[in-house]
Amino acid sequence: MFSEQAAQRAHTLLSPPSANNATFARVPVATYTNSSQPFRLGERSFSRQYAHIYATRLIQMRPFLENRAQQHWGSGVGVKKLCELQPEEKCCVVGTLFKAMPLQPSILREHNLLPQPPRSKYIHPDDELVLEDELQRIKLKGTIDVSKLVTGTVLAVFGSVRDDGKFLVEDYCFADLAPQKPAPPLDTDRFVLLVSGLGLGGGGGESLLGTQLLVDVVTGQLGDEGEQCSAAHVSRVILAGNLLSHSTQSRDSINKAKYLTKKTQAASVEAVKMLDEILLQLSASVPVDVMPGEFDPTNYTLPQQPLHPCMFPLATAYSTLQLVTNPYQATIDGVRFLGTSGQNVSDIFRYSSMEDHLEILEWTLRVRHISPTAPDTLGCYPFYKTDPFIFPECPHVYFCGNTPSFGSKIIRGPEDQTVLLVTVPDFSATQTACLVNLRSLACQPISFSGFGAEDDDLGGLGLGP
Amino acid sequence: MADQLYLENIGEFVTDQNKIVTYKWLSYTLGVHVNQAKQMLYDYVERKRKENSGAQLHVTYLVSGSLIQNGHSCHKVAVVREDKLEAVKSKLAVTASIHVYSIQKAMLKDSGPLFNTDYDILKSNLQNCSKFSAIQCAAAVPRAPAESSSSSKKFEQSHLHMSSETQANNELTTNGHGPPASKQVSQQPKGIMGMFASKAAAKTQETNKETKTEAKEVTNASAAGNKAPGKGNMMSNFFGKAAMNKFKVNLDSEQAVKEEKIVEQPTVSVTEPKLATPAGLKKSSKKAEPVKVLQKEKKRGKRVALSDDETKETENMRKKRRRIKLPESDSSEDEVFPDSPGAYEAESPSPPPPPSPPLEPVPKTEPEPPSVKSSSGENKRKRKRVLKSKTYLDGEGCIVTEKVYESESCTDSEEELNMKTSSVHRPPAMTVKKEPREERKGPKKGTAALGKANRQVSITGFFQRK
Repeated sequence: MFSEQAAQRAHTLLSPPSANNATFARVPVATYTNSSQPFRLGERSFSRQYAHIYATRLIQMRPFLENRAQQHWGSGVGVKKLCELQPEEKCCVVGTLFKAMPLQPSILREHNLLPQPPRSKYIHPDDELVLEDELQRIKLKGTIDVSKLVTGTVLAVFGSVRDDGKFLVEDYCFADLAPQKPAPPLDTDRFVLLVSGLGLGGGGGESLLGTQLLVDVVTGQLGDEGEQCSAAHVSRVILAGNLLSHSTQSRDSINKAKYLTKKTQAASVEAVKMLDEILLQLSASVPVDVMPGEFDPTNYTLPQQPLHPCMFPLATAYSTLQLVTNPYQATIDGVRFLGTSGQNVSDIFRYSSMEDHLEILEWTLRVRHISPTAPDTLGCYPFYKTDPFIFPECPHVYFCGNTPSFGSKIIRGPEDQTVLLVTVPDFSATQTACLVNLRSLACQPISFSGFGAEDDDLGGLGLGP
Repeated sequence: MADQLYLENIGEFVTDQNKIVTYKWLSYTLGVHVNQAKQMLYDYVERKRKENSGAQLHVTYLVSGSLIQNGHSCHKVAVVREDKLEAVKSKLAVTASIHVYSIQKAMLKDSGPLFNTDYDILKSNLQNCSKFSAIQCAAAVPRAPAESSSSSKKFEQSHLHMSSETQANNELTTNGHGPPASKQVSQQPKGIMGMFASKAAAKTQETNKETKTEAKEVTNASAAGNKAPGKGNMMSNFFGKAAMNKFKVNLDSEQAVKEEKIVEQPTVSVTEPKLATPAGLKKSSKKAEPVKVLQKEKKRGKRVALSDDETKETENMRKKRRRIKLPESDSSEDEVFPDSPGAYEAESPSPPPPPSPPLEPVPKTEPEPPSVKSSSGENKRKRKRVLKSKTYLDGEGCIVTEKVYESESCTDSEEELNMKTSSVHRPPAMTVKKEPREERKGPKKGTAALGKANRQVSITGFFQRK
């Protein structure tokens, strides 16, 4: 790993100055292709209904689900539409889930009342699942985990319809992992650094030092020769969203009188300047991909469009800086990366009983859809031709940013797909970033710390007992 | 020995200047590789400790290595005080690097000052931030400014599907060093903004007080910077494009109103948020007027009670506007001018002439081409008005202004008065480095006073009168 490799060189810095100081060349970009084209929006029209996106989602997913159904329950299983159902007949139905949640914030229920306070989870024991296909819908009951599933998931259920008009589920399955092309083997260690939640403009001084240490490690200023040599093998840095802090979005100025706020600047202006300087330092040394996040100055609906280069006058001088969409998909040195800034996972977290972000990440991969809850509870552009959030191909590294803690796992698919799942923690809170080794598909967290007045021996470093 | 120099330097920084000397700060200050700076710091500490001199040195170290935590092998990078160094080292499974991070005289409570020191030195060295770094990236080559601006334009065009106006807008904001011509061009499609820019330029010259909106400042700055060469371009751009027809048609009803409004507030002109900066060329202000008229009308709708006779006002506005452009037309050439929309076209040829004339001569030269044209025929009423402007000289411009404004709303004959008053204002404006605003207002107000006494022949007559 990074540390072991870094420790291999002799320590030279606790000694008098020597004339020769090694300089390492950054590993050159072997191959890089940005495959985020499906997430780029050109002309946008919001005059469409969202029903089209569900329709196209179902149409696209149906063949995958029928295949999986046949794999699970035999090739003879009958896949029927809801309108063809016969009572007491065992069959398989493919449709989109809808979860009726009484606690879900709904403008129709709240328009003349005060909105309910935000909660961390909106699930309730009384939630009900409904399966919808092109023409009809039917309530589900039986061996199906109501609390875990969320609206918008396309799945296949096996069971039969009962007298009460509900569908008794005996088994169900998802589309599972998409086919994956194997990654070509690499001969040297190459790393990709994943960071998210820099949270600039948040007023937290501690995280600023951490951010500076991160930049220094990557650009090769910090550390001994061994570490600098290892850092030279970092071929790319991906900033996965929330570069600005939540507090830069304060809308106080809306409530204040105009004369008080006339000359005040938005908090995000100062934060963007700081971000520009950080990006300048990074892009002077390593290719950087910047994804926007929930609190960044770009559009709110998914897919978020890249930040505008005019905000970064210093950093855009370097061609190594790339401003990309959220979600972001690219092939770096033959390894397919796909990731988001975390809005999809945190939205599913709110409406599902799943607690672990890594588990949710894996679940989205298994249902073959990046964000099934869009457009129901997560803002989304009204697509109508295709749903770009369906996985056409399985990535090698699948990450999501702004999670509360670091997590990484390797999962296997039914057709021998291997995926490294990484939950990138929020840097402003955890001072931790992730280093992905492209050769071994392993991930190591890297964390930074300074020292504070009230720190006991090693508490600040997390090294305490 | 050269070797000793750095020791002295460090000693000086730490003890005499009481600075916090971080490795990065030293590297930039002495211009050495970062690793060498770290070694220098270590060397200094060792020597000073050996000497055992009275000076107390506090050192912070950087420790990095791996640690098993939660089942992961976590790589830690930490800045620690000297007293905690051994403890931290013992906790790490593998130590990747240790080096001196900083030296300072006083004991640091927390790592905030370290960050501040690094940040400060970085700010002053932003352009070559990786010069002394241990990693050099071949791909990181800064683009030339021309390239980057063109690429930013491409970005806008291809990805953002912007209208031409917004594109121009972006170009204006991203391309801060763009040539004046492009700025003018980009301003022109923006219409109203262009109007404000030119008008603002004129205005600033008039008045000392400036009420600027931020947008204005941007456009004004650019306008001011490029007023001379831009003027000619603006004029030609302004009129050369279809905008001219558009303006003529659109502004007919609004011009008069705007003119009125402008005149209405000679004293309040200063506070007008729209008018801002210098480059007060009458030409430009004239040009700005048509566009400005549109906007002003909307914004000042409440203040000005529009007269019924909007068409006449339009004509007056047009006339007045032209006067502003060509402040110094000969009074002798002043004649009654019929209301003809075609007058505008007459002016368009005149603007192109001097691309970069000095401020004062510009208005003078401008009237001349129009004067020449005025003789061409009845259709070019505007030209005639321009010519007339020179003849009027009146020290009581202010009073005249008011009257002109009032009479403006009444009848055709008063149009003449208006024009006279506007021409009256012309001369003073020119002497004062052109304050098109006042000119516009002055003539309008003065018309009433002059009114019957003077034969109103052309709108420019007003300015000259003054």
